[in-house]
Amino acid sequence: MEEFISYLFIGLGNGAVYAMLGLGLVVIYRSTGLLNFAQGEMAMFATFIVWTLADSGLPLWLAMFGGMFGGFVIGVVVHQVVVRPVGDPHQKPLAVVIVTIGMFLGFNALAKLIWGADDKTLLNLFGRSGIDIFGTEVAWQKLGALAVLAIEAVIFWMLFQRTKIGLAMRAVASNPESSALCGIPVTRVLMFGWGLATAIGAVAGTFTAPITAVSSNLMQLTLIYAFAAITLGGFDSFVGAIVGGLLVGVLSDVLPRYVDFFEKMPLAPAFILILVVLLVRPEGIFGQRKVSRV
Amino acid sequence: MTSSSPAKSLGARRWVPLIALAAVAVVCLALPQVLSSYWTDTITTWIPLAVAALGLNLLTGYNGQISVGHGALFGVGAYTTALILNEWHWPFLVTVVASAVVCFVAGVVIGLPALRIKGLYLALVTLAVATLFPQILEQFSDTTGGSAGLGITNRELNRRGVMTDRSIRFEPPDLALLSADDAKASSQWRYYIFLLVAAICFLLVRNLVNSRAGRSIIAIRDNETAAEVSGVNVAAAKVFTFGISAALAGIGGSLSALELARVSSGTFTLVLSLNLLVAVVVGGTPSIAGPAIGAVFLGFFTNVITPEFPEDVKPLTPLILGVLLVVLMLAAPGGIVGMYRQLQARLAARRAISQTAISQVP
Amino acid sequence: MTAQRPLRLAAVAAALALLLSACGRDDDNADDTGGSDNTTETTAASDEDGGGDGGDAAAFIVPEEDCANYEGTKGIEGDTIKIGTVRPESGAYSIYDTITKGLEAYVTAVNTDGGVTAGDGKTYKLELVKADDAYDPAKTPAEVRRLVEQEGIFAMVGEIGTSNNLAVRQYMNDNCVPSIGLATGSPEWGKAAEYPWFIGGLPSYATEAHAFMEYLKTEKPAAKIALLYQDDDFGKAYQATIKKDIEGTDITIVDEQSFNPLTETSPESKVAQLATSGADVFFVGIGGAPCPAALRAQPSDWTPMTYISITCSGKTAMALAQGRDEGIYSTQATYDVGTAADQANPKVQEFFTKGAAAGLQEAELQGGIAAAGWGFGALFVRGLELTPTVDRATLMNTLYSLDGENFGLALDDAAAHTNGADDPWIIEDLRVIKRTAGSWEGVTELISYDGKSNDFVG
Repeated sequence: MEEFISYLFIGLGNGAVYAMLGLGLVVIYRSTGLLNFAQGEMAMFATFIVWTLADSGLPLWLAMFGGMFGGFVIGVVVHQVVVRPVGDPHQKPLAVVIVTIGMFLGFNALAKLIWGADDKTLLNLFGRSGIDIFGTEVAWQKLGALAVLAIEAVIFWMLFQRTKIGLAMRAVASNPESSALCGIPVTRVLMFGWGLATAIGAVAGTFTAPITAVSSNLMQLTLIYAFAAITLGGFDSFVGAIVGGLLVGVLSDVLPRYVDFFEKMPLAPAFILILVVLLVRPEGIFGQRKVSRV
Repeated sequence: MTSSSPAKSLGARRWVPLIALAAVAVVCLALPQVLSSYWTDTITTWIPLAVAALGLNLLTGYNGQISVGHGALFGVGAYTTALILNEWHWPFLVTVVASAVVCFVAGVVIGLPALRIKGLYLALVTLAVATLFPQILEQFSDTTGGSAGLGITNRELNRRGVMTDRSIRFEPPDLALLSADDAKASSQWRYYIFLLVAAICFLLVRNLVNSRAGRSIIAIRDNETAAEVSGVNVAAAKVFTFGISAALAGIGGSLSALELARVSSGTFTLVLSLNLLVAVVVGGTPSIAGPAIGAVFLGFFTNVITPEFPEDVKPLTPLILGVLLVVLMLAAPGGIVGMYRQLQARLAARRAISQTAISQVP
Repeated sequence: MTAQRPLRLAAVAAALALLLSACGRDDDNADDTGGSDNTTETTAASDEDGGGDGGDAAAFIVPEEDCANYEGTKGIEGDTIKIGTVRPESGAYSIYDTITKGLEAYVTAVNTDGGVTAGDGKTYKLELVKADDAYDPAKTPAEVRRLVEQEGIFAMVGEIGTSNNLAVRQYMNDNCVPSIGLATGSPEWGKAAEYPWFIGGLPSYATEAHAFMEYLKTEKPAAKIALLYQDDDFGKAYQATIKKDIEGTDITIVDEQSFNPLTETSPESKVAQLATSGADVFFVGIGGAPCPAALRAQPSDWTPMTYISITCSGKTAMALAQGRDEGIYSTQATYDVGTAADQANPKVQEFFTKGAAAGLQEAELQGGIAAAGWGFGALFVRGLELTPTVDRATLMNTLYSLDGENFGLALDDAAAHTNGADDPWIIEDLRVIKRTAGSWEGVTELISYDGKSNDFVG
């Protein structure tokens, strides 16, 4: 039991990070309609900004907000300079996918060029101590990740359900042409979506980096787990990203501890679950069913 | 006059692709005769990628199913070949066929859930396959060699009288076509065999797309419901396409294993799957020549251009490739073939205009 | 449609013809090789060729016997020797590129000092050509062949990665091109009888594990080990040696877990599992950033005697441990550039001044990774200084008959001895060290395992 609790919270803590990156993927999917393979690298880049600020003496909290701001700017610029000119992802999905692969390569090389190849340290946002839960020490950092995820969830809900820009984003997601006709500034809405996605990438990175180190491959594996998360949850659903992320985290950190078959295949349980879920509900647990017209 | 001239030029234009094809064939056949064995081997490595990209193009370009997992199927083909050769020492080309069969089955298995799972979800499921594959190789590393890899070898005495595992090699036959130098002849022979396998694959796919089945495949991409209404067995066609596409990826993997005489888990990662996708889109979809052009583009960039970069520019290589991809997609979302088609259409339009101009002259 | 049919038929016929000819060809091979497995038996070779006692340099490698087209002095043009290296500049392991920076700094330093005076009395400058394989062993052969055939290098120096080197081992041996100072300690590099053209630049991982196990036997004769090993050749070498060494002792492995940096984001949950095993020794046989991550992941109520791989004992990795490095053990063969006491050593001082002049940053100088590359360069250059004539075979034979050499950042008491296939390992002098207040301190004397490295392989 004690072991289980300790694995569970490690899984939840990691899952919270997958969920955060997943939220970014969902924002981009909902606003622009594409899968962004560069999401992880953009988050990594924003995390380097966090590190640079923290290294120059800023408290980590402030550095994270700085990184979020930097990430927002990066997201906006990427959308304006790279994504928008390629055109509508619904029309040319492949071209847009290749563009995100190109950005993946570009951001990775750029980060190495600016910050070098050697690993850098980022401290835990919630310190090194823990709290006793049912006789097991659980790190504050893991609980903190869950708390931050909860805050993000609330902000997202408020933003999308209670504000004008949220309403506009939902309108653009469901029908960009009609939205434009209704006078919604579609481009500005999309810019905001990309900025938002990269900004929360900085938060995800701030929680990933202390587990290993700040380096240009920081988010590559995390991105894969985040993709698994949104496939499970449904990639147009914020709730789906959060539930999916936590599920993937728990499955890949807890199950291999008890089942030898999964020892070296931590993603396998999540993958099996994805297959089962998608066969029953092809749009993911929380995804929206699409009605297609002939 | 006016009515016969377009027909004539149409006839002439029909010859253009044939002449171009013949020219490409001559160049392909002549290359190992002029190139050193190093360059022959280098261009040989592009062939497996081209065949696998051909398979992906059939699935993605013609059938509209996006797969980000063809690197895994490529890997299944490679490991099938490696394990068969190490266990049973089958003839090389038989293992290529065996790999194709194994991958066809694997493709059908992946294709079945794809009947229910569509669009980007399918892309994500194949992505999961791509990321899971190296983990499976690790889990069964006693068989697969894991990340240390598995050499495809025969036991032979070396020159010092020690029994060692020596990599498989292509024994060149006695042909005047091949070089007198044994090592070079082996490289040339391997290149020609690869080229032949690739040519057969490209020919078969071309015939498939032009056939009735091919029209069904394309109809599904354009509008699945409409295709179903007009009597296409959508499920069968999709699963079949997935299978064939996987088989081609498997042939590519098999060739690459034969070429390297070694497989290891670090090769068949998501990066490979993405590279295949890049080859397909850069080449241009849907088209038969596109994947080959895309594979040559990637190979040319990594093996020919990159080494020529000055030393202080080299760290920028991935950045340059990334920017190149973005710019290419901005300028020509249809890839290189798309660019060519656009050019052709523009020329045709200009010709049509000038012809109407002529015909309007009283 | 009809026009296509003959074409298709012709294609199929051609394919069949090829298949048949391929069948015929392969039978010849199958005859000599049928039914053999993967274990390698070294037959009479080591008696025959392994001689060379007392520095008889010509005895071990006879290139005329080893390869078809031996070009002994290729890569030497005038007074410049061209050497090559392959490293992961891109991809997930790009941190190891820092090794190559260290190697490059050594080459720059040598050239700045006017070059290296080889055993033939001439002074040579060095030129280093680098290639990038992104740590993908499928890309290594093409890059190495480019360096050997297109760039025309004399030798490979400090090539990184076990599977990457394995991917080109046969090629290098068939062409008699030396690969010196490999940046891997896999026991594979002890197979000099079969593959004499490769010589390692690190201690064998087996020797390293054995050194610690010896120490453990005296300190904790009834130790209960929790083992975390990297799921590859590197980690498995530790695992095998530990299992071999505990035979017949009271030491037990109470739990073992593998970790794969390519597929797992962090070793946290595995460390949590190991922590519940009741072990009083924690062996961390993983490298890179996950190694200090494993230290950080230890629950605060689990305080075993902890050992970390020599490959992650540098300052960069230790800084990532955020304090959890205090009191842990490792081994060393060289001075630690991140330890204050060692920094006073003239060798380390030279590395600092010349490395900085060659463009290494402060963090790289003290991090420990660049220092490894510096050592590979030093090994190659010492070989050049000793070799009576500068050609590929003589240089290799010289390196296979070292008699008490000390180079690079090696501990002052260390002395490298080699003797062909009987003793192919250069670095075999190790001591166990303990991390105390941010510095490494020796807890044993320098122990020589000369000539024994191959015996420790599990």
